Amino acid sequence: MSEARVNWSSRSVGAPWQHRFFYALIRFSDRYIAYPFLYPLVSYYLLLRPDQRRKTRYYLDRRFPGQAGPAAWLSSFRMIIGLARSLVDRARVGIRGPGVLAAEFPEHRELARLAAEEKGIIILTSHVGCWQAAMSWLAALKRPVHMLMRRDEGDIDRLYFEHSGEISPYRIIDPTAYLGGVLELVAALRRGEIVCLMGDRVFGKRENSLTVDFLGAPVAFPLAAWTLAAATGAPVAVLFPVKTGPDGYRIELARVIRVPARARRPFAKLRPYLERYVRALEELCRREPYQFFNFYDMWADTGSVARDPETRTREQGWEHAGNKPAGTAEEDNH
Amino acid sequence: MPETSLQEQLKKIIIEELNLEDMDPSEIADEEPLFGGEGLGLDSLDAVELVVLVQKFFGVEIRDMEEGREAFASLDTLARFIEQRRSAAT
Repeated sequence: MSEARVNWSSRSVGAPWQHRFFYALIRFSDRYIAYPFLYPLVSYYLLLRPDQRRKTRYYLDRRFPGQAGPAAWLSSFRMIIGLARSLVDRARVGIRGPGVLAAEFPEHRELARLAAEEKGIIILTSHVGCWQAAMSWLAALKRPVHMLMRRDEGDIDRLYFEHSGEISPYRIIDPTAYLGGVLELVAALRRGEIVCLMGDRVFGKRENSLTVDFLGAPVAFPLAAWTLAAATGAPVAVLFPVKTGPDGYRIELARVIRVPARARRPFAKLRPYLERYVRALEELCRREPYQFFNFYDMWADTGSVARDPETRTREQGWEHAGNKPAGTAEEDNH
Repeated sequence: MPETSLQEQLKKIIIEELNLEDMDPSEIADEEPLFGGEGLGLDSLDAVELVVLVQKFFGVEIRDMEEGREAFASLDTLARFIEQRRSAAT
């Protein structure tokens, strides 16, 4: 079976001492010195690390086609500084407590209503804003939260609760564990609990993805959340934590997507539901272009490997027997 | 007429529900690994559905990776797991 794998890393840029320096600044003065210090730091990466600047252009060149010269440099700067602030915010919550940020969540009652259905909720996150700090809202649902999260060896970015030495308020499930942790995810949803997965990054085999056009070109998006939704009946809640000010976030419940059981197989039947998420992500990128923190070429990783697993034959190692037209969009609910 | 064995039932369910076209139950060996590069070659997305199917058709829950490792090693181990859980429940 083809074993093409993804080509990205969660490892943080920056030396450990740089991280410790910022943690010390935050302990001493919250964001008031840490934020200003970001400007020379980001300028360094922008001016003297062309590899890092190049990483911003994968997305920005598609979001702002034809952008060049000073405008391109400025947009790269804005994207990097946005990420840097979100990382500082994550540390602020861990070091100084969740009260440092004011996160409004206008649709929190809708999320509570979904939880009350007792089918579990699949929270679909993306590389948008400071999602880890925003997740503190989930505590209000008074249900265990399980996060499928990969951390590269050498990843020195601390999760916010690690700063205070607290036990994780969430159960972190390692996607490299047995069967990708899916057994725990299914069991959690069956108990009516919350699971959080990233919707915009493929981890593992490329075959377990579908290609959908995103900002004008095909990108492979992972299928795990959609397969879980079809198999368990849990709704998918697309959340975007959007930074609104130095201390403010707005949690947007962009979509609630339900996947009928009959969309389970073949995987191509999941496309209309995945597309609804991708359209929501595009809307977010158009509205808040500097809050989508994607620094790898998600368009290049598509290639010829991410095909729709329409049919499977054992002789072909369960590789696809050819593409077929995608299914029609349906507003089906359980 | 002999009752269909649990292994045979599982093979039919796996083939039909996981969309394994052009495969006959006779091609799945009872002792063959279900997951991974050798054997049947199922993967994590198949596991999502297999867990749900085992509960749907046999009323048995596979709760975590420890139980999964025990149950999913092969058709034989899965059948044994189901039988044990059903016996314990009655």
